[in-house]
Amino acid sequence: MRKSLTAVLTSAIVLSSVLAGCSNSENKPAGAANAGGGADGKELQVITLSAQTTGIEKTRVDNLVKAAVVLNEELKTQGKNMEVKLETKSFDGSWDDSLKQFMLASKSNKAPDIFAIGHESIGMLAKGKYILPLDSLKESKEYADLFPILWDSVTFQGQIWGIPQDTEARPVFYNKGILKKLGWTDQQINELPEKVKQGEFTLDDMTKVAEEAKAKGAAEFGIVHRPTNGPDFQALAYNFGAELYDAAQNKIIFDKKAVEKQLQYYYDIAQKKLIPDNLTTMEFKNVHKIVVNEKALFYYGGIWNVNNWAADAYHDQIGKVDAKWVNERMGMMLIPAAEKGGKPVTLSHPIVYTVSSGTKHQDLVNRLLELVVDPKLQTEHNLKTFHLPITKAAADDPNFKADVTLGGVAYMSEYTTFLPNHESFNKYSGSVFKAIQAVELGKQTPAEALKDLETQLKNDLGDELIIKN
Amino acid sequence: MGKPNVVVSAKKNTGNSNPNRIVGFLQKWGLPAVLLGPFLILITIFFIAPVVLIVILAFTNMDSSMVWDLNGLLNFKKMASDPNLSEIMLNTVFYVTLTLSLNIFLGLSLALLTTYFIKQESVGLIIRTIWMLPRISPPVVYILLWLWFFDPSEYGVLNSLRMIFDMPPANFLADQPMTAIVLANGLIGASYGMIIFSAAIKSIPGDLFMAARVDGAAERSIIFDIIIPAVKWPLMFVTLWQLLSLLTSYEYILLLTKGGPLFETEVLALYSYHKAFQSFEYGYGSAVALVLVVIALICTFIFWRIFGMDKMIKSSRIE
Repeated sequence: MRKSLTAVLTSAIVLSSVLAGCSNSENKPAGAANAGGGADGKELQVITLSAQTTGIEKTRVDNLVKAAVVLNEELKTQGKNMEVKLETKSFDGSWDDSLKQFMLASKSNKAPDIFAIGHESIGMLAKGKYILPLDSLKESKEYADLFPILWDSVTFQGQIWGIPQDTEARPVFYNKGILKKLGWTDQQINELPEKVKQGEFTLDDMTKVAEEAKAKGAAEFGIVHRPTNGPDFQALAYNFGAELYDAAQNKIIFDKKAVEKQLQYYYDIAQKKLIPDNLTTMEFKNVHKIVVNEKALFYYGGIWNVNNWAADAYHDQIGKVDAKWVNERMGMMLIPAAEKGGKPVTLSHPIVYTVSSGTKHQDLVNRLLELVVDPKLQTEHNLKTFHLPITKAAADDPNFKADVTLGGVAYMSEYTTFLPNHESFNKYSGSVFKAIQAVELGKQTPAEALKDLETQLKNDLGDELIIKN
Repeated sequence: MGKPNVVVSAKKNTGNSNPNRIVGFLQKWGLPAVLLGPFLILITIFFIAPVVLIVILAFTNMDSSMVWDLNGLLNFKKMASDPNLSEIMLNTVFYVTLTLSLNIFLGLSLALLTTYFIKQESVGLIIRTIWMLPRISPPVVYILLWLWFFDPSEYGVLNSLRMIFDMPPANFLADQPMTAIVLANGLIGASYGMIIFSAAIKSIPGDLFMAARVDGAAERSIIFDIIIPAVKWPLMFVTLWQLLSLLTSYEYILLLTKGGPLFETEVLALYSYHKAFQSFEYGYGSAVALVLVVIALICTFIFWRIFGMDKMIKSSRIE
């Protein structure tokens, strides 16, 4: 009897300790920690906030740490007996996985206070009540000179849900050496971005030059683009006049005419063998290798790729290449207009700071977000990671202006477009990418792919979709 | 008013109960509870609860907001009009059938090779250990090697080899994606059958082989008339086990082709994952998973009743 009682008690203790171990030991109220003594003898209250970003651009959270130093000085001046400590993390995976992790972490009250993510995710995050509206920050004096168009990228159903952290341009990189092989003079090569800007050099011209380069053996590939789904593909839809979003009704628009042209473009460049046969099944690193080893004439890239090429060894002989090397060999231009005299495009995909609805210190977080917009901090991030500033003050920074790579593309912000902030846009872009993949691999004609795409979108999006014939 | 009465009467009952009855109850059930309790809890948490959750989720339209909104049969109606589902079903049939065949054939061949043809025990052991290596390495590492092998650029192993013979780079993963996933899964899966079959072959009494040889039986006859009938039940068990795990596993496909290009290697289990964790359609993903559960149950039933798996539990026929 005693034995079984002991056994019952032991197992109960073991089980309860296992369950206790499963519980969230970090789930203490934020800022519970007290450390040291304050100036007035009271204990200093240390408030721990957390911030998370994704990828190699760690300045996105490191700048917040620097802003926290300023914030702590302010708190000291105000005589408040508290100190903010910022814990940072850079998620080592894809942005999609980071978003998934944030949503699941939110459900278990472990979400970081500040979360940096692509602007198009705010629809999903706002709808799921994962983040807080930040309308008050729009009125703050720190954001008075933010480029107004950037507020559009963080607006969802009439409210502001994020604060732009940076922006970028997605230019077309062109290889100067290959153009020279085709008989272009230095002057012609240097004037190309301007000709694109004026609408004189069109998308068709770009395809023709790529064909010439391929035919003459000057380049192995005429054109390359990213191998995975991403915002770049929608820039082409905008170029063909697509409207992707009805903000008033909060619905995604399936603009059939424009999307057909978009699919036709990718079908044509694949049929003409301008792109690698298997581009959409390649790994990204191999696309970087193709570009850095100067095997492609045109590359639909992003300005930050200059940073990627400096961070990893992609060149067969040299390994890592710096910005100077890139600027000597490559130029950057807008995506040429679809029609002569038309307006060229690019697409910006601002990374934005969002604030978790689980934060217990919204006032401190808001102040931190005001301080992080400091032009010096922005410039440090921009120069290090090759991104564009979000405020006029940062755009006027002499160090930024002096940078050859960034200075050359700053004008592109005037031609920029954004992805819609609709909560289901990931489904739309995923299906469009599959359609592009189908036409590039020659499995479907643009008309067939368009038909299947329509069926798919109707099924996936239902009444969230407007079909424009 | 009723509640306090109930409490009072309950208290009365407890007060009146004989302590010996509690002692008796504990004596009878204490030990079984201690021994079975933890397992029952684990089974409930990890086996029963997920199935119950999937069934409930399948009837909701839960998306990224993670709100439980029941929507009746809408997910199943959506599935009926899903333009990709027929292709995905067909892929699943192809993938499971081909991989299973490769698994069983290779597993049996390896077992025969290492236990029957190779008489030296240590050599057989080394071969089996080598074949087990991918099984003990993490799936990501295993698939990275395949990705490196098939990489469509000229930097891939296969294409580097082709270049030596002046052949243009091939995009095997795009041209033959199903072959690639069947190969990757079939080769690693063979080790499971190999171990089970090896043990079964080894348990066949040596007298049978000797008697067969004395009677002048050919190798072919020994394999088909002695070994195969003796491993019939392990063969059945491994087939069912592998069938069920192939139906529900998707990690190698996810890592190798992500279900692509297009939907060419998308199987039902992977589609459920993609819908739930890529498009954040948790409700729809669960509905797809529920269909998978039903298919798995039907397969188990067929094996159990039609192929007589239930007889397997009876004692061994070789003594």
